[in-house]
Amino acid sequence: MGAVPKQIAKRGLFEGYDTGGFYDEMFLASGQPRPPYARLFQKLCGMAPSQFEERRKLADLSFLIQGITFTVYSDGRGTERLFPFDLIPRIISASEWRHIERGLSQRVVALNLFLHDIYGRQQILADRRIPRSLVYSCPHFRREVIGVDVARSIHTHICGIDLVRDSKTGEFCVLEDNVRTPSGVSYVLENRIVMTRTFPDAFEDLQVLPVNHYPAELSRILRSLSPRGESEAQIVVLTPGIYNSAYFEHSFLAQQMGVELVEGRDLIVDGGMVYMKTIRGLTRVDVIYRRVDDEFLDSLTFRADSVLGVPGLMGAHRAGNVALANAVGNGVADDKAIYAYVPEFIRYYLGEEPVLRSVETYICARPEDLGYVRDHLPELVVKAVGESGGYGMLIGPASDRARIDEFRQRISADPRNYIAQPVVPLSRVPSYDATEHCVAGRHVDLRPYCLYDGDKVTIVPGGLTRVALQKNSLVVNSSQGGGSKDTWVLRGEN
Amino acid sequence: MLSRIAESLFWLARYIERAEGTARILDVNYHMLLEQSQQSYRLRWEPLIIMAGEEDRFRKLYPEVNAANVFEFLAFRADNPSSILQCISKARENARTIRDRISREMWEDINGLFHMANGFVAKDEIAAGPHRFCDKIKFGAHRFHGVTDATLPHDEGWHFLRAGWALERGEMTARLVDVQYHNLLDGPPAANALDNHQWMAVLRSVGAYEAYHRQYHPPIEPEKVAEMLILHLQHPHSIRYSATEVQAGLRAVSGSNYGHYANEAERLAGRLVERLSYDRIADIFQQGLHGYLNDVISMCGSIGEDIARTYFYYAVVA
Repeated sequence: MGAVPKQIAKRGLFEGYDTGGFYDEMFLASGQPRPPYARLFQKLCGMAPSQFEERRKLADLSFLIQGITFTVYSDGRGTERLFPFDLIPRIISASEWRHIERGLSQRVVALNLFLHDIYGRQQILADRRIPRSLVYSCPHFRREVIGVDVARSIHTHICGIDLVRDSKTGEFCVLEDNVRTPSGVSYVLENRIVMTRTFPDAFEDLQVLPVNHYPAELSRILRSLSPRGESEAQIVVLTPGIYNSAYFEHSFLAQQMGVELVEGRDLIVDGGMVYMKTIRGLTRVDVIYRRVDDEFLDSLTFRADSVLGVPGLMGAHRAGNVALANAVGNGVADDKAIYAYVPEFIRYYLGEEPVLRSVETYICARPEDLGYVRDHLPELVVKAVGESGGYGMLIGPASDRARIDEFRQRISADPRNYIAQPVVPLSRVPSYDATEHCVAGRHVDLRPYCLYDGDKVTIVPGGLTRVALQKNSLVVNSSQGGGSKDTWVLRGEN
Repeated sequence: MLSRIAESLFWLARYIERAEGTARILDVNYHMLLEQSQQSYRLRWEPLIIMAGEEDRFRKLYPEVNAANVFEFLAFRADNPSSILQCISKARENARTIRDRISREMWEDINGLFHMANGFVAKDEIAAGPHRFCDKIKFGAHRFHGVTDATLPHDEGWHFLRAGWALERGEMTARLVDVQYHNLLDGPPAANALDNHQWMAVLRSVGAYEAYHRQYHPPIEPEKVAEMLILHLQHPHSIRYSATEVQAGLRAVSGSNYGHYANEAERLAGRLVERLSYDRIADIFQQGLHGYLNDVISMCGSIGEDIARTYFYYAVVA
């Protein structure tokens, strides 16, 4: 049985393809393509590497001309780079997607309830389901917003929850919650547009669920937060400016929603109201989708040296005159140590068992965990709790002694700042290797974007599949050499 | 419309116009100068640097004023803020800050222009001469005008672009006439044919050569060239036409009627248009061309400042 498909797999682009003992999203262990991938595999097999290469160049050019770039600062000049796009899509079957959707919805609702509680009555602390010290020692816990009413009790309007498929079990599990200002959704939408333009034949005979309703849904939710009612709602997207690495996304979303993209200097607070400065005078602002971090939002409340925010903004917010999305202080919910308690939140607030598993986590702030972590560093992944973007991280198995020793010292000096997890062998998807001119397995994660309107969670089918394009790399962050793929959720069974 | 967006539109237009104007002047002059003797050669490069207002910077960077140096300086140098590449890069930067407010076509066009311009290798272009490069820039700018005109709603944002374009153009034409006139009349006595060549170059640099011949009879006379470039009612590069465009753009934004003004920028633009409409070229020469053009340039500067004061800046309410 297995011998025939294996021969098929060796033709053309897939010559010499090896699943390497990992869970391969496209191939079964037998070498046969999984059912959702069967048609795509046939199409790709019929393509010469040169044809594929041609389309790849077309896609790259399209991203360049559209200026869909991000900025890296490592070279000191802030160079614009293309976010590498891999033409081979990642496919998720309908049944698997239903499972993911259920798990994410549950998680988002629980995270929202936690935030509402922790900045309100703090019942969960009174019930001793999470250590008070862990919450209060979180650098992103904002005492300034305790007791502040947020519109419609929503804190987590937009969440990007990172999922990975564990090769050992073949199961999706949650790696990280991003509930502050997750970015990347613009790539989901643009990837799809570029994909349909450069590779239209790949969509033939497949019913791929559309993703382009995201901006409309986001706009609906933002509108519903307006203190003056929806009909008059003046919504803005607040960006740190063109030098921010996600600037493209900020302007993309503003444009798609048909709202103003503003910088801090465009806004002014007067008499407890927020206004934007127009050529005709001041116009009141009701809802701010802010892509500026908490600590820079208001120099009167947070960092006094910030020029990105609007002085007095928090006062206007506290008075109920302007809504902010996401809410201030959400960082306490995606702190990597608090992450270990999210299954507990689900049980505590919803009385349900978590649908999606979390990765086993050692919290260095707990003395028993700290000892274990210090002794097992070469097998573990260590993460700084408040960092994102793949910074402040140690991957034990891929690090040398010196680096491991360095981390051991850092952890001992500041245990609260670190957690450790076993290395999750991420699943792989066939991806094009431009230097070898062939297709090879590369590790991926998945970041679906969840929108919460206070009643239900809406998730655009799929999300952003990030791929570690470097051979053997497990780090998928764009700032660390990662790329992305179009992600397809199929309608109906396949 | 946000003040910042209006400001970015205004400057987007100005930078594109400045890049185009510099490319035109560089191209035409370069070819004219190559036909001349070595002696007048040295002299004629200087006006380009003076016109760009970058004399000091140039002297610090180069030991000698020659074709290659001037071309490199005006086209490619990153440390010359008014070089063509810098202007295009600033235009694109402005477009990028407002890309949600301009058409996708405009953004892709200017982004493409930026990548195209940066794709040129300075060394190769200097060896080949400026025509190829300047031509691409010129037509790139024209295309951007066209794309803008065809895809952006002609609303108040478009009128800020229009005002920016016209103000920059008027000022550049004024500088061009001033510098060339001064240089050509005060330079060493030259044969008539050579002078003729120079005036042809001036006309060509603003695309007015053909139009001149339809209006005036040969030979080309300096006074008529000046009349054409300063006072022509319809030529899109004349100062008068540019001033009228600035005024029209500002009026469209404020809604002022004929004979009225809503702010200082409009008042000054109106005054400039009136002067250019009723002055005769003979009067201008009688009172001194240089002084007259200097007045125009300083009025353009004031109009720019007053536009900013009226629409872009907010007094800080502490």
